[in-house]
Amino acid sequence: MIASIPWRQSLGLRQAGVFYALLALLGILAALAASRGLPPYLAPANLGNIAYQASLVGIMAVAMTIMLITGAFDLSVASVAALAAAVLVGLAGQIGFVPALLCALCTAAMIGILNGVIVEFVGINAFIVTLGTLTAVRGLVLVVTDGRSLMVEDPQVLAQMLAFESARVPLFWPLLALGAVALAIATLRLAPAPALGGLGLLALAGLVGPRFTVAAPVIYLLLFTTAAWFVMERTVLGRRIQAVGGNAEAARLSGINVRAYRLGVFILSSLAAGFAGALFGSRLGAINPTAMQGAELTVIAAAILGGTSLYGGAGSVIKTVAGALILFTLTNGFNILNLGANYQGIIEGAVIIVAAAIYTLGNRKRGETR
Amino acid sequence: MVTALPLLALRHIAKRYPNGTQALVDASLEIRAGEVHGLLGANGAGKSTLIGILSGATTATEGAILWRGAPVRWRRPADARRGGVSTLYQHIPLVPTLSALDNLLLGAPGWQRRDGQQRARAEAVVAQLGNPFPLDALVANLPIGARQMVSLAQALLDGAQVLVMDEPTASLAAQDRQAVYDVVRRLAHQEGKAIVFVSHFLDEILALTDRVTILRDGRDVLHRRTEDLDEAALAAAISGRAVARLTRRARRIGETVRLAVRDLASPAGLAPISFDLRAGEILGLAGMLGAGRSELLHALFGADPCARGAVLVDGTPVLGPGVVTNTGSAVAAGLALVPEDRKRQGFVAGFSVAENIALPRRGWLIDHATERQQAEAAIAALAIKTEDAQRPVGTLSGGNAQKVVLAKWLTDQTRVLLLDEPTAGIDIGARVDILEQVRRLADEGLAIVLVSSDFAELLALSDRILVLREGAVVADVDPATSSEIDLTLLASGSAPACDGVPA
Repeated sequence: MIASIPWRQSLGLRQAGVFYALLALLGILAALAASRGLPPYLAPANLGNIAYQASLVGIMAVAMTIMLITGAFDLSVASVAALAAAVLVGLAGQIGFVPALLCALCTAAMIGILNGVIVEFVGINAFIVTLGTLTAVRGLVLVVTDGRSLMVEDPQVLAQMLAFESARVPLFWPLLALGAVALAIATLRLAPAPALGGLGLLALAGLVGPRFTVAAPVIYLLLFTTAAWFVMERTVLGRRIQAVGGNAEAARLSGINVRAYRLGVFILSSLAAGFAGALFGSRLGAINPTAMQGAELTVIAAAILGGTSLYGGAGSVIKTVAGALILFTLTNGFNILNLGANYQGIIEGAVIIVAAAIYTLGNRKRGETR
Repeated sequence: MVTALPLLALRHIAKRYPNGTQALVDASLEIRAGEVHGLLGANGAGKSTLIGILSGATTATEGAILWRGAPVRWRRPADARRGGVSTLYQHIPLVPTLSALDNLLLGAPGWQRRDGQQRARAEAVVAQLGNPFPLDALVANLPIGARQMVSLAQALLDGAQVLVMDEPTASLAAQDRQAVYDVVRRLAHQEGKAIVFVSHFLDEILALTDRVTILRDGRDVLHRRTEDLDEAALAAAISGRAVARLTRRARRIGETVRLAVRDLASPAGLAPISFDLRAGEILGLAGMLGAGRSELLHALFGADPCARGAVLVDGTPVLGPGVVTNTGSAVAAGLALVPEDRKRQGFVAGFSVAENIALPRRGWLIDHATERQQAEAAIAALAIKTEDAQRPVGTLSGGNAQKVVLAKWLTDQTRVLLLDEPTAGIDIGARVDILEQVRRLADEGLAIVLVSSDFAELLALSDRILVLREGAVVADVDPATSSEIDLTLLASGSAPACDGVPA
């Protein structure tokens, strides 16, 4: 959040720990795979797969990070996603894919407005309000689907949905271009952080090769994350969102319309959830009423792994995506390496607590020097 | 009853924090039973660290603590409390959801509640203080002055011999202050307790204490009996230079009406108020705590959604029929507010100096270079003490943080500056700095509304003073012909309202 963090510190455990953790985890899993004589774990196809699996949660977690930065909270995202998926799948056969997608997003936005208005204008705690909408919207999904699985019958619409969700996009050239831009910024500004990012992107491009493709949701996640990062770090809008979370009263008395920002963030969170839900519904052209149940906790866990403060004011969308990748790398690793799925929950839970402990202890150590 | 041997002595204390900050270089302090000992110093002089060492919250890197002549080592606040030193902090650590009695007994030993017996002890202690609060009242419902008494009673129940009071009167209204003075005097002179009284108010130090120690830059620069001191000597010792009190001077006020206020009222506690403010004019608002001064500023600034009436800046309505009012539109019209509680309302602690100064600016993309330049210009203009513009404002001292809050409004856009207690909790040197800056801004054509509880400050700076009482203007005073006593009498309602009162 503060541009002044010296570069030595910006590479430290507290600032960049989530990236180290992701790399370490990948390394461990790769070693395990090699020792068991399995196909190479770090194969581009598998990495692309992890990114694909993480993309829906990643999209919601990026919006959740912005929400947490303003000091609010949204538990209803998974239910909203399921509702959007149900609306999309239910309507697509009759009105076509694009109108149905718009309807799904509008429905999601309405829930966001409802959440935001209750929190802001009635003044109930966001945790309680969204706990309520979590349950109520899931109930609405049951009503909409009549408790059964819905599916799209029309083959033409189904093809559109698959194109939206499962199209393969080559990653080589965009990565190369992004890496070059980051390196150019690094040389212009003499800043080490973009240089490292650029080198990472180029290395990734080299790793995947020109023939490698990823599924479309990965690209959506990439675009959304980049846009969110740009808004949060480089625009006055993002600065004001951070100020609202850092000290709402000071922000208000500086002429910032705190309510509008908070309401906007609720809408953003629900829209992101709606988009993720639309992707989910398009994956199979079908939806069952319990889809994505419990995903909101994974979303929040990703944001916390990324170092987002639950008290508002601090967080980074890029680190949140790294957090989501860690969670799905764990899942993926357990499946591929057959490590005994029973232990997965224990490990995931422990990872979240250890991460939170590192952030908290890091903060305390820095606090003591004052 | 002054005994020869000091009850508690700090000898040549030095404290260096792990990050290299040398908060104390060489400070000594002797506290005697039966005396009120004033401790003063500018912000950053090392007072807080010294209090921390007294309370056991901080350990000194060098030096010795002697309790009745014998060296002791306190590693935790509990050690100091057991030793007989209790510290009362500015922000009173009580459990608001428990009753006063339960709070008093929080530190009681044992695992069993023996309410009858303990209640009797608590009642005795509270009676000693003059029964300032009912024992069974919920702390959340007690006014701030009474809460302070609860925490004082807590310390006495713990058997404190030395009471360290960190700015106990900073957040109190006049009558509550008087209650604190009475209790402090009684405890010291009748009960034989030793009291360390920390304050920024020179008059109360002179009136209340028996002995004074002044810290400057981590050293003790003055130990003396209070009767040998006056305000000028204190101010000079605190700042290390002779501080000229701000004096009135003739000022030229513009012709144009910058701010026009018509029948501004609010259910938050404002009777209809009307006045005009010209370019270059400084309007003082006097009143007691709760008289509606902050409420008036908030209503002017569009921060009170229930406010009614009309507010015009250079003829453009900010509040009125058919106008959408919020803080954003007020800022756009040229209003600026430096709020009373700078930590809670004024700055974002995690943001850097540059980011805080840029907070009200509009625009789309962040231009770091321009922001840094503007911040550096403000740092130079207001003499803000900070290593650089990238430092989080939460790490600056009170006076410097206040200057940052002021700096964020020094733009071409600002036409009317609303200042709510801009010098509260700020040491005398920085205080004069800020006030002179305010006058300079007015000379440059800003219209200024100044709220201050320091009536001397108001009289020196204002061109005109409105006295508020219970949300209404009760007097319109010419500062050139009025005294602090006049203002106090008007504000507290013990004088007949004079002429010039709006009907």
